[in-house]
Amino acid sequence: MELILATAECDPAVDIICAPSNVNELFEFREAMFSIGGFPITRTVFLILMIAVIVSGLLFFGLRKKSVLPGKLQTMVEGLVSFVKEGIAIDIIGPEGAKYAPWLISVFLFALVGNLYEVTPGVNFPVTSRMALPVMLAAITWVVFVVAGIKRQGIGYFTGIIWPKSVPLALRPLVGLIEFVSTLFIRPLTLAVRLFANLVAGHLMLTLLLVSGWVFMSNAGNIGFKAGIGVAWFVMGLGIFVFEIVVIMLQAYIITLLSAVYVQTSLYPEH
Amino acid sequence: MYQAWNWILATAEPELISEEVAEESGGAALLLPAPEELIAGIIAFALIFIVVWKFALPAIKETLEARQAAIKGELNAAEQAKVDATSLLDDYKAQVAGAKQEAAKIVADAREAGEAVKADIVTRAEAEAEAIKVRAADEVVADRARVADELRRQVADLSIDVAQRVVASTIDADQQRELVDRYIDELGGVR
Repeated sequence: MELILATAECDPAVDIICAPSNVNELFEFREAMFSIGGFPITRTVFLILMIAVIVSGLLFFGLRKKSVLPGKLQTMVEGLVSFVKEGIAIDIIGPEGAKYAPWLISVFLFALVGNLYEVTPGVNFPVTSRMALPVMLAAITWVVFVVAGIKRQGIGYFTGIIWPKSVPLALRPLVGLIEFVSTLFIRPLTLAVRLFANLVAGHLMLTLLLVSGWVFMSNAGNIGFKAGIGVAWFVMGLGIFVFEIVVIMLQAYIITLLSAVYVQTSLYPEH
Repeated sequence: MYQAWNWILATAEPELISEEVAEESGGAALLLPAPEELIAGIIAFALIFIVVWKFALPAIKETLEARQAAIKGELNAAEQAKVDATSLLDDYKAQVAGAKQEAAKIVADAREAGEAVKADIVTRAEAEAEAIKVRAADEVVADRARVADELRRQVADLSIDVAQRVVASTIDADQQRELVDRYIDELGGVR
């Protein structure tokens, strides 16, 4: 919270709260803490790189023992991985899905940990609300499903989209145009924006409720019984906190699921 | 409209947006991927992908195979144990059945032997009884003969005694003969 409050320049003696003048200040941490070879390590960059450390550590410590009778951590990690592999990759794409499992598992774990930062005490900032990450994930998905389509159908992948044979001849140009735009442009855009917007909204809601609650309560000396409003905000913030945990998991699941669905439609256009 | 334009501009040529414009553009600036974050994201994702691909999935596969083998082994062992137990049970059942049969045979033999002994005893008893009867009858006959002999001897002795007494009391011959005859007749009645 201090981090958020400290982002704006204000005189704490005059202002009740150092409210950011611009909403971007809740999301943009562009000042480098330090830099490596000219590459600026900002707080966000640090958190993004930490995703790799956390996920790798989880996988390594969870799976290194390879016990026949797994412990709690191993059961959890095995469960997560096979949930994506069996429940998404193979269930959606089919037997070929196993080939795409490493990518889908990475998408899921990356998005999940990036999202979970939102409700991690001391971090409280979902790095997936930074457009760079959803764009990157969506771009990778785009490349994967387009390449899968070309590998399976050759140039027929594109002609199948532009000139859909299953549609009556008169409608083909129209449907083809819609399909072309929706498959190659709308899909990656919505994939990125969905994740981005959900996390931005969640972060805004939590920040507004918890920070205003805290501000009201901490100024009880000045504003008297009105500080009670802060309690209501804070309690509501905690309610949203639980709700956000659900959103976090759901969004990680959805971006993985849709990525798999897009690959599936590239491989089996008739469905 | 202005924001959208900014976004398009930024996508096309990032340097067209001045620092000032970006500051004032509000939420729209959020839609621009920050280059250092994009690079960090790609690095982090690539690392995760490599770990998942080269380590996690093979590890899980290995573990699952080991688990499968262990379970299969356990199932086979259980199956073997079941087979062993069944054959053991059959053995015991056969043994029990044999024992029962043997017991029945022993009882039957004992009964047979008992019957034989009983029959033997009865036969022997009957034979003995018959023998006793015969012996008793013989004895009776022998006793009668002996008694008759004894009588005859006593009669003779008495006769002699009588004769002496008669002789002594001077009896005539006729009287003597009559006396003897009468006496003998009386003896015949005894028989």
